[in-house]
Amino acid sequence: MILSEVIGLRVLDAHGAAVGRVVDARFRLEGGGTPSTARLVGLIISPRSASSFLGYERRSSGGPALVARLLRWMHRGSFLVSWESIAGFYDDRVELRAGYERLDASLDSTEG
Amino acid sequence: MKRIFAVALGVLTAIGGFVDIGDLVTNAVVGSRFGLSLAWVVIVGVVGICLFANMSGRVGAVSGRATFEIIRERLGPRVGLANLGASFFINLMTLTAEIGGIALALQLITGVDPALFGPLAAFAVWVIVWRAKFSQLENAVGILGLSLIVFVVAVFLLGPDWGDLARQAVMPTVPASEQPATYWYYAIALFGAAMTPYEVFFFSSGAIEEGWKRKDLGQERLNVFVGFPLGGVLSIAIAASAAIVLLPQAIAVTSLSQVVLPVVQAGGTIAFCFLVVGMLAAFFGAALETTLSSGYTIAQYFGWSWGKFRRPAQAARFHVVMIVGLVLAVGILATGVDPILITEYSVVFSAVALPLTYLPILIVANDPDYMGADVNGRLANALGLVYLVIILVASLAAIPLMIITGAGA
Amino acid sequence: MTKSPTVRAGRLIDANLHLLDRQVLDPENMPVATVDDVELDDVLWNTPLPPGTPAPVVTALLSGPVLATRIFGGRPPESRWHRIAWTHVVEIGTAIRIGINANELDVSWVERWLRDHVIRRIPGGSHDPE
Repeated sequence: MILSEVIGLRVLDAHGAAVGRVVDARFRLEGGGTPSTARLVGLIISPRSASSFLGYERRSSGGPALVARLLRWMHRGSFLVSWESIAGFYDDRVELRAGYERLDASLDSTEG
Repeated sequence: MKRIFAVALGVLTAIGGFVDIGDLVTNAVVGSRFGLSLAWVVIVGVVGICLFANMSGRVGAVSGRATFEIIRERLGPRVGLANLGASFFINLMTLTAEIGGIALALQLITGVDPALFGPLAAFAVWVIVWRAKFSQLENAVGILGLSLIVFVVAVFLLGPDWGDLARQAVMPTVPASEQPATYWYYAIALFGAAMTPYEVFFFSSGAIEEGWKRKDLGQERLNVFVGFPLGGVLSIAIAASAAIVLLPQAIAVTSLSQVVLPVVQAGGTIAFCFLVVGMLAAFFGAALETTLSSGYTIAQYFGWSWGKFRRPAQAARFHVVMIVGLVLAVGILATGVDPILITEYSVVFSAVALPLTYLPILIVANDPDYMGADVNGRLANALGLVYLVIILVASLAAIPLMIITGAGA
Repeated sequence: MTKSPTVRAGRLIDANLHLLDRQVLDPENMPVATVDDVELDDVLWNTPLPPGTPAPVVTALLSGPVLATRIFGGRPPESRWHRIAWTHVVEIGTAIRIGINANELDVSWVERWLRDHVIRRIPGGSHDPE
């Protein structure tokens, strides 16, 4: 599958309610190869916009304070869902399993 | 002499950006109609371009990434493509005008029909882009372009009423013969001319052509703070010379002949010679700058190899794009359209493309992944935010004002 | 060659943030392409995923016609995808570095074609600027 088929898709929960749109896909590097294998661990979903604008919403690194604050506000509510929470991929949507958890999308604590 | 060459990139970028044919004519038009009451806009524009050219030069030197790569990486391919389209259009229009300008300047000397000089001028530009070393290009244009200082000399030689000039500049008012809307239209045109995006694309790519690294940031800063203010001084001198000679006699600027009139009046044939050399250098410089900018922006958007530091065989698509651009420019000129008219429009379109260029630069200049410890200081960020607002206002007002005033008629 | 910490186990990478639209450079710092899209293992499509389905991994970075479909929608046939296999990636930073030479990749064929059929035919094309 290619990523552009997933990013931007609507996301629905187990009851069919709209939850947001896929704005990014998170991978964890594992194994000892060079490079390590990049395995999909989850999708970043934003309830607001389809565009991940400048990545500000996930990193606390600097930037002109006003711009950072504006972008964080624009992307408030972004969250991560794990691979296991995904029920299925369809042409026009991604469906989540019942009882999925909204995880913290920030990268700071784990950035390599 | 070597010290002059050390700032050649900055001087070339500024000359190609500030006193190319479009700006030369716009400054003369402004001087002949508004005196120096718009000089403050040039100063605002110079501060702005210094700020952002410095940021983009720093990003290029420290991270090795040029501005258009950053624009696509930060704004995404869709918005990046929109910016690319707008920038290519502006570059092409400006290039067409510069080649036309070279032909017009040659007509001033030889009296020969400019239509014959167009393809010749384009060919000369291509040969330089194809074979000359980047440093040779900068140094030649930088030195010869300095001849335009004859405008400053002319202002003094004309023995103006300094008090009057100062009053126009420091207490700007809209002259009785003009509308406020037209005043603001030209304000945006001058601002757009000072901050034209191709200057930043060229300067940041030039930084990489020069091989500047973190240790060269001092030289990079020197280039910015010598080159662009010099451009600003020349712009104001052109407007002043027009204000002194053309304004009192209500002479309208319709061709290069009126632009050169004040200088000829001040210093005769010798001054005229310096002026023509300076103009040819400036138009050539701008033609080179816009040609290279088209190559840089397209190559950087698509990820192709680019740069004059590589032999053409190693940057094939980059060179092909530039050849196509030059051919298109000659084609457009051959349709008989007035190159000066083209630039008056393209200057305003620059204002529209500004936010899409400067926002990513400001953001990346703050990103420690790119800049390490060399991220923006608080002053740069504060000024950067202020300018983003000004840029946004200018870009939103540009087209409506152009329509209302009939492009400054 | 020591493995860059940027491609070592444990690191988290967000495709849009770290991979997409990044410049790819070869070992000689030659720009190769910009990452237009990312290819993953095949995953069941249009059917529910059985619980315990292993997560897909990145197989390649893509460039070329995929850019048009990324912007405007759709999916070009696989024969048109210019792949840079994930195994070639050596470092992921402000640009992505790969371990093989640009010339050895499909993705550079237009560059090579123009070089051989246009640039080399013009005098001076193969020489360093004088």
